[in-house]
Amino acid sequence: MDIQTMKISALREAYDKKDISVKEVTECYLDRIEKYDGELDCYITLTKEKALAQAEKAQKRINDGKAEPLTGIPMAIKDNICTVGVKTTCSSNILENFIPPYNATAMDKLDEMDIVMLGKVSMDEFAMGGSTQTSAFKKTKNPYNKACVPGGSSGGSAAAVAADLCAAALGSDTGGSIRQPAAFCGVTGIKPTYGRVSRFGLVAFASSLDQIGPVGKDSLDCGIILNAICGADHHDGTTEKQPVTDFTAKIGGSLKGMKIALPAEFFAEGIDDDVKASVMNAAKEYEKMGAELVNCSMPSLKYAIPCYYILACAEAASNLSRYDGIKYGHRTAEADSYEELIIKSRSEGFGDEVKRRILLGNYCLSSGYYDAYYRKALGLRQLIRKEYNDIFSKCDVILTPSTPSVAYRPDEKVDDPVKMYQADICTVTVNIAGLPAVNTTCGYNADGMPIGMSVIGRKFDEATILQVSSAFENGFDVKKPKL
Amino acid sequence: MDLNTVKYLADLSKLEYTDEKLAKTAGEMTSIMELMDTIKDIDITYDAHLDNHNVYLDGLRRDEIMPSMPTEKVLSNAVNSKNCFVVPKVVE
Repeated sequence: MDIQTMKISALREAYDKKDISVKEVTECYLDRIEKYDGELDCYITLTKEKALAQAEKAQKRINDGKAEPLTGIPMAIKDNICTVGVKTTCSSNILENFIPPYNATAMDKLDEMDIVMLGKVSMDEFAMGGSTQTSAFKKTKNPYNKACVPGGSSGGSAAAVAADLCAAALGSDTGGSIRQPAAFCGVTGIKPTYGRVSRFGLVAFASSLDQIGPVGKDSLDCGIILNAICGADHHDGTTEKQPVTDFTAKIGGSLKGMKIALPAEFFAEGIDDDVKASVMNAAKEYEKMGAELVNCSMPSLKYAIPCYYILACAEAASNLSRYDGIKYGHRTAEADSYEELIIKSRSEGFGDEVKRRILLGNYCLSSGYYDAYYRKALGLRQLIRKEYNDIFSKCDVILTPSTPSVAYRPDEKVDDPVKMYQADICTVTVNIAGLPAVNTTCGYNADGMPIGMSVIGRKFDEATILQVSSAFENGFDVKKPKL
Repeated sequence: MDLNTVKYLADLSKLEYTDEKLAKTAGEMTSIMELMDTIKDIDITYDAHLDNHNVYLDGLRRDEIMPSMPTEKVLSNAVNSKNCFVVPKVVE
């Protein structure tokens, strides 16, 4: 039995039939982490003892016949999701020693099912980046080519799933931070509809865009995790109050008659040819399954990057003003005044990219620039929403590339903020409009690097996008990375 | 973006830079703002009514007192806590 490649559904069956114990599976993953993570740098904090204790508790629950879908499933958690009693660093020096006194709601829901938490995984500092190279602690490598980035900001989550260093993971997505690393690492990741999963306990970056979501080995696994973590939460007023349906219910259903939109701007200049060809090949596969391909347009895409960065940075500048070195987080060793304490603590604690985004946010919100930048970006957000609504009035889902290129080497663009921002073109509009989208692998380039495609859905229609992504996965030959 | 503007933004943001870092940041911010300025090409107005006309208040939680986190836990991540947050002297 090849434990590390087993999907959640297979693990569940094996546990319930007593073919395998939770301890065996947990130890298998802990051994792999010890063997491979020294090079990959996925985990910031490994919670070995806690994992073994949780494995024992989960086994008892299974033995008692009271297992839930995720009981005993070994998972990695992105390090911006609060875990009671376990360091949550956000990959930042300013939170290096922060131990949350409470759990994020999503984490509470996983704990209620008795998952096994293997540890906390790396990310770009405060989720600001697309490479995991802005992490103050672990600059994660891509399991398919360790000289390349894993994407970001949930690079630790995606790389850990791809390298079989966990069965599945939680990530968060503000402008593509689940879908882009999932694409670079050849795994599946879903950014749920805004309001689907509580943001309580997720370290805030941009509150109108942030959303927690799963990263898994396939769409079914992501649906199972999403079923567990979603729902209304009195700690987060933006969560959807309506009862949720089973997100896996449509998986396996026919795509006959389904209309799949292909917006021309997502296949235009700036998107690599091998990426375009691979996504179009997937579109043809959908056509063979009975779906109808519909050409459409999204003209506002050319304004998406500035719209996103103005809104996200404005919100970040406000959210990150809470880090003052007083209540929690890094505090400077010496300061003679209250003002100096705050300035020194923040300046020592934040990394360069976080500082840049705070400056940009405050610039766009400052007197004389608010209307020209922030308010105009809000107008653009309305236009982007309208264009999505127009497409969804005629189609069921939208198919696009997840990234303009495959994973790159850090020296190709990580030091150039403008190049890094432009690379988010395929993902940011989904967050701006609050829609759900799932990335799955649709091919590999000549060097064997994964290529991802995104299926975007109507608000709160995660079940349909998982149906569509899963339909492609079923006939697709996944090439695992050679570690 | 000139150095004075970046210095002003740094002050607003409660951040400090060395002169060398300030100059580098000014260059980066200039490139970033060139990208942000592309939104000036489109003539669009934000309609606040569109975003706020259907805000429903009936789903809000009741305004009732709930247990709060114990002081010990609230202070668990603070440096120099003596059952309160300690800061440098503010009033002379």
